[in-house]
Amino acid sequence: MANKLEAYYRLPQDVVFCKRCVMSNQRPSSYPEFKHKRDRKTPTLHIDQEGVCDACRYAQQKEQIDWESREQELVKLLDKYRRDDGYYDCLVPGSGGKDSAYAAHILKYKYDMHPLTVTWPPILYTDIGWQNFRNWIEVGGFDNVTFKPNGKVHRLLTRLAIENLLHPFQTFILGQKNLAPKMAIQYGIPLIFYGESEAEYGNPIAETSTSLRDKSYYTMHDLSEIYLGGVSVPELIEQYDLSLNDLMAYLPADYRQLEAAEIEVHYLGYYLKWTPQESYYYAVEHTGFNANPVRTEGTYSKYNSLDDRIDGLHYYTTYLKFGLGRASYDASQEIRNKHLMREEGVALVRRFDGEFPERYFQEVVDYIGMEPEHFLELCDKARSPHLWKQENGEWRLRHQVS
Amino acid sequence: MNTRIIPRLDIKGPNLVKGIHLEGLRVLGKPEHFARYYYQQGADELIYMDVVASLYGRNSLLEIVERTSREIFIPLTVGGGLRTLDDIRNALRAGADKVSLNTAAIHNPNLIKAASQRFGSSTILVSIEAIKKPDGCYEAYTDNGRESTGVEVFEWAIKVAELGAGEIMVTSIDREGTGKGFDLKLTRRIAESVPIPVIACGGAGKISDVYDVISQGKADAVSIASILHYNFVKHHDTSDDFSGEGNIEYLRGRRGLSTIQDATLPEIKDYLTQHGVQCRHPITRAAHV
Amino acid sequence: MSDLQQPTVAIVDYGMGNLFSVKHACEAVGLPAVITSSKREILAAEAVILPGVGAFGDAMDALRRLDLVTVLQDIAVSEKLFVGICLGMQLLMSESREFGVHKGLGIIEGAVLPFDSPLRENRKLKVPQVTWNRIYKVKTEGLHHGSWVHTPLEGLPDGEFMYFVHSYYAVPLDDSVLLSTTRYGHIEFASSLRYRNIFACQFHPERSGPQGLQIYRNLVSFIQDRSVPKEE
Repeated sequence: MANKLEAYYRLPQDVVFCKRCVMSNQRPSSYPEFKHKRDRKTPTLHIDQEGVCDACRYAQQKEQIDWESREQELVKLLDKYRRDDGYYDCLVPGSGGKDSAYAAHILKYKYDMHPLTVTWPPILYTDIGWQNFRNWIEVGGFDNVTFKPNGKVHRLLTRLAIENLLHPFQTFILGQKNLAPKMAIQYGIPLIFYGESEAEYGNPIAETSTSLRDKSYYTMHDLSEIYLGGVSVPELIEQYDLSLNDLMAYLPADYRQLEAAEIEVHYLGYYLKWTPQESYYYAVEHTGFNANPVRTEGTYSKYNSLDDRIDGLHYYTTYLKFGLGRASYDASQEIRNKHLMREEGVALVRRFDGEFPERYFQEVVDYIGMEPEHFLELCDKARSPHLWKQENGEWRLRHQVS
Repeated sequence: MNTRIIPRLDIKGPNLVKGIHLEGLRVLGKPEHFARYYYQQGADELIYMDVVASLYGRNSLLEIVERTSREIFIPLTVGGGLRTLDDIRNALRAGADKVSLNTAAIHNPNLIKAASQRFGSSTILVSIEAIKKPDGCYEAYTDNGRESTGVEVFEWAIKVAELGAGEIMVTSIDREGTGKGFDLKLTRRIAESVPIPVIACGGAGKISDVYDVISQGKADAVSIASILHYNFVKHHDTSDDFSGEGNIEYLRGRRGLSTIQDATLPEIKDYLTQHGVQCRHPITRAAHV
Repeated sequence: MSDLQQPTVAIVDYGMGNLFSVKHACEAVGLPAVITSSKREILAAEAVILPGVGAFGDAMDALRRLDLVTVLQDIAVSEKLFVGICLGMQLLMSESREFGVHKGLGIIEGAVLPFDSPLRENRKLKVPQVTWNRIYKVKTEGLHHGSWVHTPLEGLPDGEFMYFVHSYYAVPLDDSVLLSTTRYGHIEFASSLRYRNIFACQFHPERSGPQGLQIYRNLVSFIQDRSVPKEE
């Protein structure tokens, strides 16, 4: 009888790589973070019978799209919402990265809208991230509202997320996803624009036929459904001596308020053809965006995901949990956009994936108040046996893309 | 002394590409078209860099080199992924006059010595890709600006010259592709500390930048990419068949890049000459004596 | 109508230098060329080009090993066109001061000196000279020197740019063989010379753009005319 290796996180037992990009079927899809518990069944990237993943299929579909008519749809939508009385007519969430820079700028300067940018800031801004944020506002030219959450709670939840889920980024994702709808309600701006569609990265293909962001990502019905850092809200309040108010920043909008306000959330990537590299160049030209001269740890790229010191750790943990590091994500995206051949993507992944995020590691563990050794223990515990094996005291992936 | 102006063509597979900080590579066209154009416009030399070579450990642009060297009669330098004497020999056989070494040279400095003895010093160019550290020091990088080495740039430059390299090409990765100008301090310090010619690379955003790196940076030659390539793209139709690979979104629009004030080679040389920099220029033919 | 025999050029391969660009230049002007180290082929050719990049001593060693020294010396006193390029020009000299004293082919009396030789003014010069530089007609008082007519430089303007890459330069004993001079820093040196059937240049005509190709075109004329370039 074959010895079946345990698959953590209820990931698919067999590891399959896409034939076109370098992603595998272990890649987690977007998931409502506030439902994230340790024992969840991770929704993962679907690879079809021909060995092609959903994201690649979507990229293929993208080639067939009539972008002119999509743009017309956009113009119609914008015409409906545009205000000339001096008030904001749309909301663009972001922290100054290339994608939000592109979205805000093009809506304002090409399509004549009046966006308010809203920012849920990175957990720990990098220097270049901070500079890019400032340039976005000061060079690009936008009003901005930044919501900075309670630092103590932020730190606690980040630590819990790492401790329970090995998910350093959860607090950021929670805040980022939830902020825009709440701001929209508060400021009375009924139209929100996010960047590219999530299907770009392999979230279920069914969604891309409309541009509205799936409401399940950001609404809640009642508190007992909510888990932050893998801990339920009632337990957080009781065990960590917090009040509900302390946690509000991480909670999604109340669905009733949302419905009453008639907020619409759209992906700009549905209307305008999205080439990440080109949004980089756009941001460079129009909003003073600067890439890093040195490559980011764990990948080859210099302009993706630059603004948070915890980014590197985040991607490192995805490497541990799913066998997919930052280079895998970057290369897959570039392959789908035809910037790279698969061969090069494979070489890049093998060279850079899983590189330890040395640069900010100490700072981050200091911030959350965790011993480095403990963090590394958590890392090792997170390696699913169906993905990892030990050889001569070193961890090796059982399956590498080729 | 006449300063050389050298277009640099970064090549990936069959395409000429251009990025920022050596990353985010956009396809701008077919290298042969650019090369031919620059030759006609008075380029003093050409540099071909295979930007994906060190990732694969091989240089794949020899075919392009062969074709180029049959119709272009100015010196051609080839670089990217050259690791052994055999690699160098193959590049020279394909028609290169000089080869550029970086990654292999830092990993094994003796290669410089062996290569310059075998092929002649003047054939061996060492490329130094520098990144400025927060403390103000410069560190040499390899693998097309991706891997740090811990090697301090100025010491390395001196060593490189001692080992027998014929020239040094200095690239500021911080400036490369940004159009913010060359790193004058970096260039000058290297130029003044080695007895061999130094080629400045990386950062030109307008014509006066080229002048500055010669007059203040003390460069003996200047390698330029963005200024020339974006100018070429703006004025020429480079719509070949690109369905193969690379980011070709940009080409469909055919604009320039607003952080770059593009220019032609004659415009650059005219400016230099007007400002007292000697460079090769066309001479009106004198009557037979 | 007789079958015109295509002239062939033998490009001497002694393991040093970029022979292929020389060959490409020949082909570009319609001059069939063969890269060879075979004595027989060299002797059979209509014209011989001796190229070269690298160290003088190594070059002479290589030529000796290939038993080509006498061959080249013989061709030098024949009627065949003999072209020396870069190191090839230097090899024609009696001796070189590169890393000691080396004997050259001795076809033309003279020496090869380094750019930072103590014989010249002490100036900071980048060595090797790697750049385009200008070649000028030789002007001597009284004599009507200077013309490039009937030389491989015919048709080029005075002061034309050619591509140089070298750390040493040849100093022929007899000034009358000088065809062009060039200045590098404070040093004025012979950038090309001509002596009977011999033409030699320190620069690389095959890398000097259209103007360099003009020289190759002129060589074709010489070979076809089978005429020895006249002395002025």
